[in-house]
Amino acid sequence: MAGRTPKPKAKVSVTFAPHGRTVHAAAGANLLDIALASDVKVDAPCGGQGRCGHCRVKVEAGTLRRRHNPKLARAEEHEGYALACEAFVTGDVTVSVPTAEEIRSRPRPGTAAEKIALPFHCDWQRHPAIRKLTVHMEPPSLADNTNDLDRLRRELARQHGINDVVVGVGVLRTLAKALRDADWNVALTLDMRNWVLDATVPPRLLAIDRASDTSPNFGLAIDIGTTSVVAYLVDFATAEVVDTVSAYNGQISCGEDVISRIVYSQRKGGLERLHHLVIGTVNELLHEIAGRNKIDLTDINEVTAAGNTTMTHIFLGLDPKYIREEPYIPTASVLPRASADWLGLDINPHASVYCMPSVGSYVGGDISAGVLSSGLFLTDKLTLFIDIGTNGEMVLGTKEWLISCACSAGPAFEGGGVRDGMRATAGAIEDVWINRETYEPTFRTIGDRPALGICGSGLIDLLGELFVTGMIDKSGHVDRTLSSPRVREGGHGYEFVVAWAPETGRGHDIVVTETDIDNLVRAKAAIYAGFRVLCTSVGVALADVEQILIGGAFGQYINVEKAIEIGLMPDLPWERFEYLGNTSALGAYTALVCTDMRHEVVAIAKRMTYLELSADNAFMDEYTSALFLPHTDLATFPSVKVQVETNGTAARHSGHRSRAAQRVSAEGDS
Amino acid sequence: MTELEIPVEKWSGAVRLVTLGATGDGGTRTSTVTVGGETTLPFLHFEGQIPNAPVVAAEVVDMHPADWSPALLEALGDDTRDPAAWARKMVGLGADLISLKLRSTHPDQGDRSAADAVATVKSVLAAVGVPLIVYGPGVVDKDNEVLVAVADATKGERLALATCEDKNYRTIVAAALGNGHLIVAQTPIDVNLAKQLNILISDMGLSLDRMLMDPTTGAVGYGVEYTYSVMERLRLAALMGDGMTQQPMICSVGEESWRQKESRVADGVPESWGEYATRAVVWEVTTATALLHAGADILVVRHPRSIAQVQRSIAALMKGV
Repeated sequence: MAGRTPKPKAKVSVTFAPHGRTVHAAAGANLLDIALASDVKVDAPCGGQGRCGHCRVKVEAGTLRRRHNPKLARAEEHEGYALACEAFVTGDVTVSVPTAEEIRSRPRPGTAAEKIALPFHCDWQRHPAIRKLTVHMEPPSLADNTNDLDRLRRELARQHGINDVVVGVGVLRTLAKALRDADWNVALTLDMRNWVLDATVPPRLLAIDRASDTSPNFGLAIDIGTTSVVAYLVDFATAEVVDTVSAYNGQISCGEDVISRIVYSQRKGGLERLHHLVIGTVNELLHEIAGRNKIDLTDINEVTAAGNTTMTHIFLGLDPKYIREEPYIPTASVLPRASADWLGLDINPHASVYCMPSVGSYVGGDISAGVLSSGLFLTDKLTLFIDIGTNGEMVLGTKEWLISCACSAGPAFEGGGVRDGMRATAGAIEDVWINRETYEPTFRTIGDRPALGICGSGLIDLLGELFVTGMIDKSGHVDRTLSSPRVREGGHGYEFVVAWAPETGRGHDIVVTETDIDNLVRAKAAIYAGFRVLCTSVGVALADVEQILIGGAFGQYINVEKAIEIGLMPDLPWERFEYLGNTSALGAYTALVCTDMRHEVVAIAKRMTYLELSADNAFMDEYTSALFLPHTDLATFPSVKVQVETNGTAARHSGHRSRAAQRVSAEGDS
Repeated sequence: MTELEIPVEKWSGAVRLVTLGATGDGGTRTSTVTVGGETTLPFLHFEGQIPNAPVVAAEVVDMHPADWSPALLEALGDDTRDPAAWARKMVGLGADLISLKLRSTHPDQGDRSAADAVATVKSVLAAVGVPLIVYGPGVVDKDNEVLVAVADATKGERLALATCEDKNYRTIVAAALGNGHLIVAQTPIDVNLAKQLNILISDMGLSLDRMLMDPTTGAVGYGVEYTYSVMERLRLAALMGDGMTQQPMICSVGEESWRQKESRVADGVPESWGEYATRAVVWEVTTATALLHAGADILVVRHPRSIAQVQRSIAALMKGV
């Protein structure tokens, strides 16, 4: 083969190192597309639009036709780097995908071990979702030649008082053999169909086993996040979570946020691809959890899924296009049952899959689930429930009323749009402290690995520390007069070096630039402005909020002290804040086992008022007001005000010389 | 007949008093100008105090502004070739202070040196006794270079150095701090941004009685209502006690109102627009008068006739007529 010239449109072979996988592709094809089609994980948060610069690969052998992109320096191009989305294969080629990206393939460890319990008491045994019943039948005879199904129905009514049951053709196909194999003593798995609000609907038959068979009865609660997918395996016999498992949403390579996903879905075959990717992710989780717990996946008999409106649409294969277009409406808010085989989930094929209802296009089932699991709908206290991520969704209310909104914070808190930002995985800097005398930072990385970048919680810490040490001013500008080698002018304005190259796993300094700081300030301003507008809309003061419940996967890692310092969270006593963990998965779990709560979550979604901020002038004003550290109205941050004043930030800037310079000379004198 | 009772608002805040120019301790002015001190909205004399009338500053440029409207150049005559003579003429016409723009230091307008700028400022200081507002060329690096040199060379004069913006304020503020000058803080028509810049500047230790704020002016027909609304909101916040919005406000009326077609073009416009020279002056005076009602404390104008006309309005409004 070697030496032969490829004809036009010829197949060329593309080898991905270090996987060692070789695939064939048409000459002229895009490298990122080839990688995705071959299940080679290339980090492409912008979805291949050439905007993020993350999909860099290195050409090891052969050549690529490359379009120049400003995200890749000319020098790097000369070293053989290319952005996969801007590269096209012309002949046989070997490219390596940087190993640093490989390390990002799993979400942060260490959360699965926690015991997950129902958030509040409920009588889960009263109306079980799935029942296992044994039925004994006399074998048919010439004297009693009733057909198999009617025989089963007759005995089900006689022995259990269940006068009707729905049996689909799929189950019916197995009936004759199953009854005889079991010697007419069978165990039935019945879906009690408690999602159906009209209680008169008969149960549905899911499986027929031998009566002696004591196979367990499981359910699955899933949180379908834009970034990661979490699944809880639940034992219906005890209502307990047996195990949890999580992975990145396989759609990440098609864009990092919901808007990129919606854009991707409009490509030819895009929606189908996104749908298969998320189903694939859930199936991977299923096989992992089954292997670990030695269970048979067909014993999973029901699924509840909570996701934002876009994720829910794609999970069900609904076109999310109109979520993004004015007037921003979803196909449906309360979603019908889907069956596992229709979706392609590797569980009992007849199992029902129920998605949590959404409120609006940007307040989805994950938030309805969060309001459910947080107990917000039961409390007398004025409560703010927040779920911070790329979108900041928030709900204000009590048991009497609920109002919600969503603010687009941008990807900064997920590590996007920040030069050395990254998701919260091994090697991400997650906690930062800066010495007030020397300006030297100390930090901790996830998994204690060499630093690869800074994740959202690390960025919040960093911003807070830079601010309270006076290294940046209230508008986020770096004090250029500081005498620290860590403050320098870089290619994109002033920057602060968090980690020197030798301390990292990347080979270059990890920095935060003024542009990064601007992006973070904009992100926090959007969230805080949302709080203010929500409160103003119902005529309460933010200071009157009695509890702030922080949900979402990211929320549990936010340091409240730092979040208050930068004005992301309102300046309230710390005891009013409470971390709830993954409220979306918890809500799905609650609805899975407490069937009464299924009606409740639909009621929650239906009665929640949705405030559309894009139509709200007050939001823009609050946003500009919050584009300051901690806020233009410092009086609303009394504890930060005290801190800033006692630290003498003001004094530091009071002359030509910085305090650092003065301190150096003072030390020299002593 | 029942007596009509006028509702009176009780305000807790006041506009800060700011004095431009100094007559001693390094200051060589023959008079100073104090603005601010209002405890009510503009000209509501029945409600609060307006201890200082708004003032009119005349704009002087350190080079002949060949691109200015012909109506202006004609009215100003040959004095535009000598900033000292130009300033003297405007004071003679009644200007309360002089706003001197060091345009010739702009890299594209001659790129004259900081030393040249110092000489120009000194010549104007020698020619007139009123206080000065000194504008750099409006380019970050050159502004810093020129204004620092001017500040150092005129220590104690209480000049107002213009302009500080959120991306460039530290150097100018430091120069004002070190030499006893004032600064003008300019922000793009937004209440929050104006307040934020005031906070940043006061965080550097400059006392608030040395700061003027320029909320950015839009001329009549070109956004004056935005300026009006933002100024009104700033003033309301000031009167309600928000300490970071209580700076007196300065408006670049001349620069904005002479930019428009209505002030620049004599021919080829509808007859209903009226006689050109009159129309152009009316445009400037109308803009200034509108902004007086929004709370302006210093109005910077260009046309000789505008000075007297705006001052006549101020006098009438101060009498409560």
